Amino acid sequence: MTDSHTPQPVLVVPDSVRKALVEAARDAGPEECCGVLGGAFDPQRSRVTSWYPAANAADQPRERYLIDPTVQLEIFERLEDSGEDIVGFYHSHPRGPPVPSQTDVDAAAWPDRSYVIVVGPFEDERGSERPAVRSWRWRDGGETGHFERERLESPRGGPDDA
Amino acid sequence: MSTDPPITVDIKGEEVQELEREALGPDPTYADALAAVDLSPHEVSVLVDGRPVPEDQPLEATELTVLRLIKGG
Repeated sequence: MTDSHTPQPVLVVPDSVRKALVEAARDAGPEECCGVLGGAFDPQRSRVTSWYPAANAADQPRERYLIDPTVQLEIFERLEDSGEDIVGFYHSHPRGPPVPSQTDVDAAAWPDRSYVIVVGPFEDERGSERPAVRSWRWRDGGETGHFERERLESPRGGPDDA
Repeated sequence: MSTDPPITVDIKGEEVQELEREALGPDPTYADALAAVDLSPHEVSVLVDGRPVPEDQPLEATELTVLRLIKGG
């Protein structure tokens, strides 16, 4: 259940990181890209300062993504060494949907972290559709676990980001 | 009086917890250690010395790293 008095969560992402994530999604071609976002974590307002790409270890990388646990641990150790928190993760949906899939819902395991999705198309951008970067927080609640959409802000996006 | 060392469970992104081996029952597995910290093998991997271990194997290590899975579609 959503508390209407709770403000929408926010993820502050530098423009350079947004562009890099779109570029990573484009480079992955028809497959999904994935990685970890580092920075300052807060359940309502997190700030991204770095991104760590990882190979997609899923058996069906066009429809699924998976970060190998040993790779995940290496990334987390680099995060810890640089004094960063685990802010969240990113992956791409080369052919949609523009929201978390049912597979994303079924596999979500990190309460309150950000799940950034880079939505295609990446192969033909001459049309009206352009790649988009969107983010959700996973709100764990057993049977009622759900993704909550969050607002993306640029570090220069407003006085709250100062 | 307990003679076995405690089991240290480092849940990445969260806290480090200590478990008394005796509290896990006879012949515990890694899955039993996960259950003691309210986690399921379906949502995490257990690593010992940086390597994943099958959750149904007998619990032998005293220092566990637990990673929530990062996956989806």
